[in-house]
Amino acid sequence: MTDQEKIAMLEETWELDEGTLTADTVLADVDEYDSMAKLSLIVLMDDEFGVKLTGDVIKGFETVADILKLMENA
Amino acid sequence: MYNLIDLTDRRILVVGASSGIGKKTAITLSNLGAKLVLVAIDEEQVMQALTELSGDGHAAYYADVSKLDAIEGLIKGIVEKHGPLDGMVYSAGLGTALPLMQSKPEKVLNTFNVNFFGFFEMVRQVARKGRFNPGLRIVGVSSCASLRGDKSKSIYSSSKSAMDSAVRCMAKELAEKEICINTVAPAMTATELYAKFVEKYGEDSDTNRELTSRQYLGIAQTQDIANAIAFLISPAARFITGITMPVDGGLTTC
Repeated sequence: MTDQEKIAMLEETWELDEGTLTADTVLADVDEYDSMAKLSLIVLMDDEFGVKLTGDVIKGFETVADILKLMENA
Repeated sequence: MYNLIDLTDRRILVVGASSGIGKKTAITLSNLGAKLVLVAIDEEQVMQALTELSGDGHAAYYADVSKLDAIEGLIKGIVEKHGPLDGMVYSAGLGTALPLMQSKPEKVLNTFNVNFFGFFEMVRQVARKGRFNPGLRIVGVSSCASLRGDKSKSIYSSSKSAMDSAVRCMAKELAEKEICINTVAPAMTATELYAKFVEKYGEDSDTNRELTSRQYLGIAQTQDIANAIAFLISPAARFITGITMPVDGGLTTC
């Protein structure tokens, strides 16, 4: 799966318009990145990548690239 | 001294007995004299729970209550071996928290299988002629979530509401057999689920502060819930049926 496909997956999960996110997007700048979006991310990572995210790991995410990296390693 | 909640030699099935509210309930009922049959999905944990009971004559089985077709055989086997039941507590449950958009049908079904369909089928099988003694009492562990709404709780809340609604109907139908059935609706209780909540939001977080301000008696202990169940499963509660009893530190009153 390419980075672009993974980004599209995040956009779909968070119901963002296509092209909203890039690898460099700072998560704190995304208004929609709230507690529900984080919960959605936990489910996405578990369902699609078999990764169990903890609160600490999520707190450590600064940009979209940090999430992509974890998807890559899955 | 008069003991209001005397369960001496009453045979009570506790489903979901390996941890949290179910396990504390089992221990409490055994302290009150009941002979227990524990059922849980995890063999090691249910065997551990068995060792923590007071008195003797208890038994433990491991079974997955979401396998609905297997429940009839399980109950039949338990009654054949241990005799008819005087009570059943259903405490098996999944604390699902999922955003609506990710609540796909298989996830809804998965939670409903454990939280509701398992309960429903257990009641159906336990309430069959020959499987219970006169005055059988059933208590399901519901949740305050069935009475309140919150983000990510659509599946969980509706599964618990389903329990409560079913109980209101079952109570009327089962009254002919002199069976009483109720649910308890605990608020946030100090279980593994709450530990995860604190881990996620932090003890000093606004979310936790907001919760404890509404649930103004604080976070419930599993013993608080077990005590309410002990009362409802006892003959002392003989005139109570078809209700959902909040055990909620004030949560649903404000």
